[in-house]
Amino acid sequence: MFRRGRVVVMVLLVAVMVLGSTLLACGEEQKPKYGGIWKDALGADPPDLDPVMATDTTSAEVGYQIFETLVGIDPDGGLVPLLAESWKGSADGKTFTFKLRKGVHFHKTTEGGKPTANGGREVTADDWVWTFNYICDPKTNSPRAYFIDMVKGYQEYRDGKAKSISGIKALDKYTLQIETTYPFAPFIAVLSYNTFVALPREDVLKWGKDWNFHVVGTGPFKFESWKHDDKLVLSRNENYWMKDKWGNRLPYLDGIEFRIITDATIEWTEYKLGNIYAAHVDDPYYPEASKGLKTVAGVKTAVNELGTYLERPQWGTYYYGMNQTLPPFKDNKYLRQAFNYAVNRQGLIDLVLNGRAMPAKGVLPPGMFAYSENLKGYSFDPKMAKELLRKAGYPKGIQVTLQYNTSQGHKRIAEALQSQFALAGIKLDLKNVDWGAHLDTCGTQGTVPFFRMGWVVDYPDPDNFLYVLLNSENAGDQGNYTRYHNPLFDDLTKQARLATDQEVRRNLYQKAEQLVVEDAPWLFIYHYTSHNMLKPFVRGYKLPSFGQYCNRFTEIWLDL
Amino acid sequence: MGRYIVRRLLAVIPVLAGVILVVFILSTIVPGDPARILSGQRGDPETIERIRREMGLNLPWYVQMVRFYRDALTFDLGRSYRNNMKVTEAICQRIPVSAKLAGAALLVAVPFGMILGIISAVRQYSIWDYASMILALLGVSVPVFFFGLLTIVVFCVKLGWLPGTGYGGLRYLILPAITLGLRPAALIARITRSSMLEVIRQDYIRTARSKGVHERSVVLRHALRNAMIPVVTVIGVDVPSLLSGAMLTETIFCWPGIGRLAVEAVINRDFPIQRGVVLFMALVFLGATLIVDLSYGLFDPRVRYE
Repeated sequence: MFRRGRVVVMVLLVAVMVLGSTLLACGEEQKPKYGGIWKDALGADPPDLDPVMATDTTSAEVGYQIFETLVGIDPDGGLVPLLAESWKGSADGKTFTFKLRKGVHFHKTTEGGKPTANGGREVTADDWVWTFNYICDPKTNSPRAYFIDMVKGYQEYRDGKAKSISGIKALDKYTLQIETTYPFAPFIAVLSYNTFVALPREDVLKWGKDWNFHVVGTGPFKFESWKHDDKLVLSRNENYWMKDKWGNRLPYLDGIEFRIITDATIEWTEYKLGNIYAAHVDDPYYPEASKGLKTVAGVKTAVNELGTYLERPQWGTYYYGMNQTLPPFKDNKYLRQAFNYAVNRQGLIDLVLNGRAMPAKGVLPPGMFAYSENLKGYSFDPKMAKELLRKAGYPKGIQVTLQYNTSQGHKRIAEALQSQFALAGIKLDLKNVDWGAHLDTCGTQGTVPFFRMGWVVDYPDPDNFLYVLLNSENAGDQGNYTRYHNPLFDDLTKQARLATDQEVRRNLYQKAEQLVVEDAPWLFIYHYTSHNMLKPFVRGYKLPSFGQYCNRFTEIWLDL
Repeated sequence: MGRYIVRRLLAVIPVLAGVILVVFILSTIVPGDPARILSGQRGDPETIERIRREMGLNLPWYVQMVRFYRDALTFDLGRSYRNNMKVTEAICQRIPVSAKLAGAALLVAVPFGMILGIISAVRQYSIWDYASMILALLGVSVPVFFFGLLTIVVFCVKLGWLPGTGYGGLRYLILPAITLGLRPAALIARITRSSMLEVIRQDYIRTARSKGVHERSVVLRHALRNAMIPVVTVIGVDVPSLLSGAMLTETIFCWPGIGRLAVEAVINRDFPIQRGVVLFMALVFLGATLIVDLSYGLFDPRVRYE
């Protein structure tokens, strides 16, 4: 009797638990509410709403709401269909055929209900042909057109020998075909970059030089107004094609209001006052923002009285470059390795960055395709650093100057490294210059032996790190600021671009990365994390591994 | 007086030309290529070169300068390198915003500064004098950034009386106006005090008192009017800096004025905007000094414009 009673109680308990968890799940699956304005901050007045000209993350953050690419990126960095429903590559890896999504329309109205020049018509393959030709037109001067310079006919078109790019064709209304001159493995990933978006030719041509201030796209939000250095307003695209899993038309929000707030203290104050619903958390505010931090599905999450703090690894690497063509680093691998052994990465991260980074063993950040856990990197070993300094010809230590672009964050890191370096006999002098001068002297002129630099991916592929930043074809302004040159590395990274088998590519990249770590043209410091703080009533927000700047607010809603 | 004004206006031309010359020389000295900055951290040399050519940056600086003078004569100051907006449009958008802030700051600074200065002078070495001058000293020495944040913390965060940042109506204007007006108020207070102290020792003040004129009238009608010339000079010189140099206040309070435009232009090597803002600042400065010079006659009839 007693046993039977216990069984009944157990069954009841299980039933209650199942019912409870079901209800909880229902709670999590709350039906989204329409309406409300998403209030957010931008760290600067975006220079370019025109996606063809934008190269910065602030412009991209707005651009992601207004425009759409053929291929999208999910929050974990995977490629997903967006305006292309599907795509297929040919066996030789040189032809890509895209099936376009039907029922995608350009914005019908803009700026307070004024009709757009395109009239809200459907996007077809012809629009894509026009768009790619417009982006690559030399007169357009897009700084990112060269990302697709492998497309067949690109150079002839740029040189004025052809009226259009021969490799881009509309096979029918909803089929687009792109041919490349060689099998370029990351091509689909490149098309996810925020320059390659559908553009309405009527509006682009109507506004001409002022197009940047009257942009029209296909995205979930439409451009409304822009008071420079004050506020940028977007409104809901009522004809947006995407629907949620219940079949409701997206987006849920009525609009977005971006305030231009350049100071982190002010941004935090405005967040706490409730005037913005999301905020970047600068180091001084991290302790209060991260109270109760725990990891949920790979994302560090803290839910507290201030709201929800989210943090996850970002695909980016912070490093110091050592110019291979200048003394003291030229032809001196021991010296470069000594620098790498002289850094206590975890100590630096804990001390200066509130632990919000991951020590870098190499170039590729964790989570990226071809990232290797087994990569042999550098540990903190001042003795080894001293020994290598001796071998490098500096038995009494060395004095070098680090140039960094002006920023309190870079300064704090440089000062921490200054004291770590001293333990190994390296005296570090610091020099800061503004970003323009930094690019000019480190990139174009290549006159700075030791400099700070960082990189966050443009497209989700190791090519964007290893080939772009370290292959000698890109020496200088094109990304390889250290002018690193190793023929074997060059060969491996070029092969990996051409290979179509992902396993082959993985092996090639892993070999190349191990090689570059050994050659040490960089002082590998840390991999970035991305974070954001959200008000408790914000729902449907996912922090992307690319960083907050590439978040589309399509499925965000406000539980107010 | 008419001839004097015409002469002063004609003198504006060489001054502006000289200012632009300095700006051009500085832009050639400072490292940083606008075409390179536009291309981001990674750019292809072909496009960078093409952008440079279109901007005319491949030409010698003096050729660029002559072209600028030529275009400026037709009021064409070019387009921003950074966002392609017409320079005249970018500046015209900001003028009302900055003028509103500068005007409000003056409304705070002039009465507050003069009242403090008069009290200090009339009650020299009293507790009022010391208190006023300590306030003035604080006003000059407290960094704008610190004071601005302090006003936000007190009046917005703690008391909730006023909005902290943003551009809007009168409520949004109060804290930035107080912050921006603090320094000129302090300067006006100090200059009013010293000028008043000099005047109230003059014979004609003693005469006025001995005639039995009411003390308020002695101070406000006889002494203050004669003490105004240095005060007006300080106000006049401060107007251009309030209008164009309020960068810190504009940054703290997210106020989209000329100061922020200028700073962004310097950081991004946006030469057309830099030149436009400098021209505007020079014009405001020249205009303000002319008005100040002309106003001397109002306070001292002995001043003649010949």
